Amino acid sequence: MNRDRLRVFAWQVLILVAVLAAWQYLTGIKAVSKTPGLYWIDPFFISRPSAIAERFVYLMSPRVRLSIWQMALSTVQSTVWGFLVGISTGFVAGLVLGRSDRLARIFEPYIVAFNSLPRIALVPLITMIFGFGLLAKIVLAWSIVFFIVFFNTFQGARSVDADLIHSARFLGASERQIMTSVIVPSALAWTFASLTPSISFALIGVVVGEFIGGESGGGLGYLIIQSLGTLNAADMMVALFVLGAIGIVMALGIKQVEARLLRWRPEYQKR
Amino acid sequence: MVAPRVRISIRDLSKTFRQGSREVWAVAPVSFDVHEREFVAIVGPSGCGKSTILNMVGGLIAPTGGEIVVDGQRVVGAPPPQVGYVFQKDTVFPWRTVERNIALGLEYRNVPPAERAARVREAIALAGLQGFEDAFPATLSGGMRQRVALMRSLVVDPEILLMDEPFGALDTHTKLNLHGELLSLWQAKQQTVIFVTHDLSEAITLADRIVVMTRRPGRIKQDYEVKLPRPRDVIRIRETDEYSREYSEIWHALGEELRAPTP
Repeated sequence: MNRDRLRVFAWQVLILVAVLAAWQYLTGIKAVSKTPGLYWIDPFFISRPSAIAERFVYLMSPRVRLSIWQMALSTVQSTVWGFLVGISTGFVAGLVLGRSDRLARIFEPYIVAFNSLPRIALVPLITMIFGFGLLAKIVLAWSIVFFIVFFNTFQGARSVDADLIHSARFLGASERQIMTSVIVPSALAWTFASLTPSISFALIGVVVGEFIGGESGGGLGYLIIQSLGTLNAADMMVALFVLGAIGIVMALGIKQVEARLLRWRPEYQKR
Repeated sequence: MVAPRVRISIRDLSKTFRQGSREVWAVAPVSFDVHEREFVAIVGPSGCGKSTILNMVGGLIAPTGGEIVVDGQRVVGAPPPQVGYVFQKDTVFPWRTVERNIALGLEYRNVPPAERAARVREAIALAGLQGFEDAFPATLSGGMRQRVALMRSLVVDPEILLMDEPFGALDTHTKLNLHGELLSLWQAKQQTVIFVTHDLSEAITLADRIVVMTRRPGRIKQDYEVKLPRPRDVIRIRETDEYSREYSEIWHALGEELRAPTP
């Protein structure tokens, strides 16, 4: 078992090294000798690992006005806030509408309409209202996360096993106790299952917000758009790698939280 | 000897369901009484409305006609407080450990933590669930989960226990074990029990009285007194002549209902 895991890891490292090496090599040799600019793969578009590493070190240094860490921090901050606010509001809304048929019927068309609106279309409006700062990015992330969590919780609150409610009632539960001991935990199970997609979508929302948020909004999305303006593929790649790393760390963290919160489920029981 | 008092009185109880455009009788008007400390089993072919009767006694569904009186109070809507209910379906809360499942009713009733812990510990010992206090239901077998459900109902000391095929989904061996445990628990507290089942041997093993229902619409076909002595040994009792006699007598009545085609 352990040997097997080691072998898988070895392959993963091997693939990474091979891709980086090929990238470095193919962007360094000429397709037609001596003709300027005709590379096998043109580093102008995808840069080279060595150039990216160089820019990365440079962007970390105090010589730049906004270091890569400051930008990453801004992105992470907005993502986490959008995620947290989105989850809590989505949960409450899902629970309330999930337990009230009347309210669910009244709000249904509005929710469906708003959710089917591509969220990117809202970016200019949100920026207009909330300005070019952190807030606009948070609102954008929230607007996506909210609906993911809302629909999940709504579904969860509706599909509470009626016999669990009945057994609680026979054990002497008041309506309030049924809410806190049966309905909320049942719905939460569904909410937790939506955490992983939520964090990814929160990150998407934030980066899109940063594309038009400008320098005062900061963030890695800003670095990407700025690099587009200066046709600097290396800086863009730096931003993408850091974003990827942030995405992985967040997803793994959420997975841990999820496994802990849902440890009673059969699929988390093994091990 | 004074006749024991009536705890559950069922009078002309009936239930119809709407099926498409027509009304279907699930339960024809039935009447019977259950006395203090009596263990009554209701048996009948599936779909005869025996579970529906139990649901109405528990206040889970409203009768179409007639009434149910528990300890002089008419049952409307809510379950009477002195009643416990064990479902056939697994109703153990999956997100709570064994211990916290059993504590549920005590938490609802605001029993102080120290007393709660003591009563839960006692219940866990009675059910032989030691070592599984912190286990989640997903890791337990069906028999153990039903044991948890049973102890969860019993830990709040209900005077009346309604059981809807609680062992219906279990294999024969587990079922026999649980019969033995249920009987010894019942022997200690002597709750008034209505036990719904389609398994005649289960009914004879456990009950003082067996109400045999006809097929749908369910009507009472016969009301038997089970004359087997108590305390009963759930294994040995099946080898006795009395058991065989009771069995063949009731089986004859039940068989008529099973043979007839269901409409």
